[in-house]
Amino acid sequence: MTNHWIDFKNADVILVMGANPAENHPISMKWIMKAREKGAKLIVVDPRFTRTAAKADIYAQMRSGTDIAFLGGMINYILKNNLYFREYVVNYTNATFLVTPDFKGPGEFNGVFSGYDEKTRKYDKKTWSIQMDDKGVPKKDPMLKDPNSVFQLLKKHYSRYTLDKVSSITGTPKEKLIEVYKTYASTGKPNRAGTELYAMGWTQHTVGTQNIRAMSIIQLLLGNMGMAGGGINALRGASNVQGSTDHGLLFHILPGYLPVPSAAVVDLKTYIEKFTPKTKDPKSVNWGGNRPKYITSYLKAIYGDKATKENDFGYSYLPKIDEGMNCSWLMLFDQMFKGKFEGFFVWGQNPACSSGNAGKVRKALSKLKWMVNVTLFDDETGSFWKGPDTDPKEIQTEVFQLPVTTIVEKEGSITNSGRLAQWRYRTIEPIGESKPDSEIMNELYFRIKRLYQKQGGKFPEPILNLTWDYGKKGADGKIKKLDIHSVAKEINGYYLEDLFDKKVTPPKQLGKKGDLCTNFVTLQADGTTSCGNWIYSGSYTQADGRVVNMMARRGKKDIGGLGLYPEWGWAWPLNRRIIYNRASVDLNGNPWDPKRAVIKWNPNKLDPKTKKTAPGWDGDVPDGPAPPLADEKAGKYPFIMRPDGMGAIFGPGLADGPFPEHYEPLECPLSENPMSKKQRINPTIKLFYTKEGGLPEDIFLSGDTRYPYVATTYRVTEHWQTGVLTRHEPWQMEMMPQQFVEISKELAAEKGIKNGDKVTVSSARGKVWAIAWVTDRFKPFKVMNTTVHQIGLPWCFGWQHPEDGSGGDSSNLLTPTIGDANTMIPESKAFMVNVERA
Amino acid sequence: MARKALLISPELCIGCRGCQTACKAWNQLPATKTANKGSAENPPDLTPNLYNKIRYVEMPSETNTVRWLFVSQRCMHCDDAGCIKICPAPGALFKTKEGATAFNKDNCIGCKLCVAACPFNVPRYDEKEKISKCNLCSDRIADGLAPACAKTCPTGAIRYGDRDEIIGKTQKAGYQKLYGQMDLGGLGVLYAFKDSPKIYGMDEHPQIPETVVFWHKVLKPLAYLGLGGAVAASLLHYIAIGPKKDEEVK
Amino acid sequence: MGNQMIKKANAFEILNHWLLAGSFLILTLSGFGFLFHLQQVVAIFGSANTMKIWHNYAGIVFSISLFLTIFNYLPVSLKFGSDDMGWIMKAGGYFAKKAAIPPQDVINAGQKLYYLFILFAGIAIAASGFFIWLRPQVDDIRKWILLSHLVHNIAFDLFMIAVPLHIYLGTLANPGTFRIMVYGTVPLEWAKKRHAKWVQKMGY
Repeated sequence: MTNHWIDFKNADVILVMGANPAENHPISMKWIMKAREKGAKLIVVDPRFTRTAAKADIYAQMRSGTDIAFLGGMINYILKNNLYFREYVVNYTNATFLVTPDFKGPGEFNGVFSGYDEKTRKYDKKTWSIQMDDKGVPKKDPMLKDPNSVFQLLKKHYSRYTLDKVSSITGTPKEKLIEVYKTYASTGKPNRAGTELYAMGWTQHTVGTQNIRAMSIIQLLLGNMGMAGGGINALRGASNVQGSTDHGLLFHILPGYLPVPSAAVVDLKTYIEKFTPKTKDPKSVNWGGNRPKYITSYLKAIYGDKATKENDFGYSYLPKIDEGMNCSWLMLFDQMFKGKFEGFFVWGQNPACSSGNAGKVRKALSKLKWMVNVTLFDDETGSFWKGPDTDPKEIQTEVFQLPVTTIVEKEGSITNSGRLAQWRYRTIEPIGESKPDSEIMNELYFRIKRLYQKQGGKFPEPILNLTWDYGKKGADGKIKKLDIHSVAKEINGYYLEDLFDKKVTPPKQLGKKGDLCTNFVTLQADGTTSCGNWIYSGSYTQADGRVVNMMARRGKKDIGGLGLYPEWGWAWPLNRRIIYNRASVDLNGNPWDPKRAVIKWNPNKLDPKTKKTAPGWDGDVPDGPAPPLADEKAGKYPFIMRPDGMGAIFGPGLADGPFPEHYEPLECPLSENPMSKKQRINPTIKLFYTKEGGLPEDIFLSGDTRYPYVATTYRVTEHWQTGVLTRHEPWQMEMMPQQFVEISKELAAEKGIKNGDKVTVSSARGKVWAIAWVTDRFKPFKVMNTTVHQIGLPWCFGWQHPEDGSGGDSSNLLTPTIGDANTMIPESKAFMVNVERA
Repeated sequence: MARKALLISPELCIGCRGCQTACKAWNQLPATKTANKGSAENPPDLTPNLYNKIRYVEMPSETNTVRWLFVSQRCMHCDDAGCIKICPAPGALFKTKEGATAFNKDNCIGCKLCVAACPFNVPRYDEKEKISKCNLCSDRIADGLAPACAKTCPTGAIRYGDRDEIIGKTQKAGYQKLYGQMDLGGLGVLYAFKDSPKIYGMDEHPQIPETVVFWHKVLKPLAYLGLGGAVAASLLHYIAIGPKKDEEVK
Repeated sequence: MGNQMIKKANAFEILNHWLLAGSFLILTLSGFGFLFHLQQVVAIFGSANTMKIWHNYAGIVFSISLFLTIFNYLPVSLKFGSDDMGWIMKAGGYFAKKAAIPPQDVINAGQKLYYLFILFAGIAIAASGFFIWLRPQVDDIRKWILLSHLVHNIAFDLFMIAVPLHIYLGTLANPGTFRIMVYGTVPLEWAKKRHAKWVQKMGY
């Protein structure tokens, strides 16, 4: 999230699209309802009338997978009716930048952007670059009139998204589109703020990243980024997904979003050169330019004394991926299916149910020699070898189940979607032999290390040289009881030497050797500081000799009634509650809307310690201390994480285009893309199944009469993810006992299905049974002058529990093997199925 | 002590059913094995182990695809409670000082008359034939805590507080009259309805069954009066006219 | 001859009368306990639950006993002639020091009416009681229960009026009557005055 949960209450318009907070994030509705009580409008756009839709002021039904068309229409509406926030757009976004004249959009280029190579299915982005002046600063047209300006290109690109076109793609009636557009665009005024909430309804598409990009463009046009009650807010699918992503959960990032190097990045110098963004614009902060400090401090944190200047701070110990290698979810299981792995640790997840095309995953597991399932309860993954249509005699995989503790049986931090890290305490001792994850890792580390010590082996240094000072060691060298606080402190970082600010005379001491770092501003690239995750530096600090766990704070003081609560827990970065908050003020540092001032430039700010006044910012922790942009000398652009300092309306960084373009899902009811006949699907997605061949497990059938209905999957309030936790919870099962499928009354009548009937839902890949809910919550769509039916079913059930099989099985047996072009997040929200009475 | 009440605002309810689970957790109520019958509303009705539930009402809408209403359903804690009125067992059903209609299973004799006398069809009986229903978490409220459902409700669709205060506040918020404000001596569960209570599946004018009122007002006193009257009449007769002595009989 | 006794009631009738009376007493006592939450009454039974058990099972005894009365009283009670009317017209002579009453059968018109009332109200109170107790599977059970509750209580009220009068009439108001329900016999002379028809039928 750019903002945070409580901030929803500050919005004037809340657009929920690609999310269902009432069912999946019920607590967030507290703040949404507070906003509504103050007169805010709640807009819900969803293929299905959800429990969130039940609370909406405006509900618009939209065919799954057509979000970009819907949002593209909104961009067009905003531009055509001059509803954008001009001062914001001109000063804070790259709308003024001039793009190289060779750039061509899909409207004039067969449905793809210029630079597309059909063979590699990749773009050569040369034509997507920004024109630079002789100083190396982007060329701009502040009048937004140059035909090569981002603004004009944007206008041209989205002029194709007319109301009629959008309506015929999405199936949303034109009047509804106008109602939504008009209401949301009303936040383009300085004194109005609109926020967007999304979740897996946006990310789990072949155009997932571009869905979010489209909204970012809208938010920048309307001047909603950085505002209280604004921003783009990802409602994370689990309570600590934000935290685990921050700490390097994904294959391509190290903790703190430092890129994982490929084998070609041979040493630290190359790494720094390759991954440190640069700018020649003196007004751009380009905070990413600090990367050398963060990677060096990270290496010092994980290799300690073994990381020296001489050995490149142990850079060679870091695992590398092959050039161009992708180790994301779909690829891992594809490789597993092809027998490329011997073993597999499944930790806190249930891929046999949660993965797109779960049937393939279940088969892939059988190719393993061994599997360790770290879980609370046995699940479909741990028991895959005795699952439906599986003969245990034929499975050679040895499965180990390690019982792990629940959240209340362990201590540590949790970072919620609002980047807020909160410390949690252990309330009861672990049951039976279950252990906290960290203890299991401790055990593993010790045993692996001992094997390396005894037997040597290839390249033992990365393991042998790893720091592991998380508690008292026994005689065997093993840590007896892991102290999670020492892990949190390592993440925050230490001063390894006394640190002085040498710019002032006499040099001022900033840090004392051995102390915890104050924050990442003081981190160094010379190996004199350590920090396990730079964005968390400042979360566990030392002030006046006293160690403070900032995440454990529970202060209830607020700022300006905005619900920032800066003394409750700790938010990264630097306890900033709303990021990009420098965009919430005008060029002089005064809030666009004084009624919801996130920050405000104060020429006479009082320092409570020294009792002296000096210019500074009031309010939230600002995006850097620099004075506002109007300050000719020291003023800085607001978007400090971008090398050019500007909000990106033009986004050449993505794989599939600098502007989002509507492409149909891999499986769709149409034979061609109404936007551009030549290109039906996202041209840059990795296809697992092509005309030339592929695994039968990866088959997809689009526009096929055998599978004529659009389907989507979702969660329900009553169950958690695949239901491993909640299916063992009788109270939840009582409320939601069995797999169901929601079907419109019209489709039910066509198929002779009655409410409560058992039906079979099938796709090209598999089938599940479900109880039919015949309802008005789904309605047939009018798409390109044909009637398109959509159905939906949850993915929280599995064959393994309840043991009598009464729950049903995962709807992910139906979903395809396909992912987003940028992130490879699997598509699960739009695919084609058939429904028949069972 | 000021009378306490719950304020239910269906406008704010998101149908998450945290209240249902929180109630079960606090009151230690086991789950029932249910089946999916074509609706999210499960169990379909209150049970001895389900003190409160959300009723889901799907209805046509003029402006939207559909209308989907969520409303909390449970004991209404009537001031003039039909169940207490009819209950023959001393101490089985009673009013707490906060105004909750509470029960004590030890005193319940399992006659189930309360089931018939309740205008809202709330009381249920457990497997030991003892009354089981929402008691407004009388143990919690006695300690100054909010009932489990109100405590857990994320949106404030179930709020707990002093009854008069709730009425005052909602009046300020534009609700002329709350459902249950006057009925049955004033309900302990008030509803802020924007539409007719009917569409939420509620009786517009809930009443204790007339026969129960008649019984309470007429038949009950008549039992004493009849007995006393008959004895008095006999006595009077004995004094005034006297017994039929053998010699008097012809 | 003056002391000749004749048998008016057999052992079965006497036993059944006391069975009915005894169960009635338990039912009434517990009934009042339930109706007015009388803690002292509950204390006699031990608890409301035991009281309910006594009430229910006394109800069974009462019902059986009531059924058995049919053999003793129903046929005669249904024979209602002009003499019975005459009895009623004179209110059994209870409101005059001396009244000429038409000759009566083994039970007089008042007793017949009383019996018919007891039978009717008894069936009503028993049937409604069993309905409340056993809750048979019927549609709209709540309405039926409410009706039963009403009937049960109306009948109870009627009993409360009728039974004291019965006791009074059978004891203080008519000396010499009570012994029938103890010994089963009455003096012939006594009977001749009160049940002339019967005495005649018996051949005295």
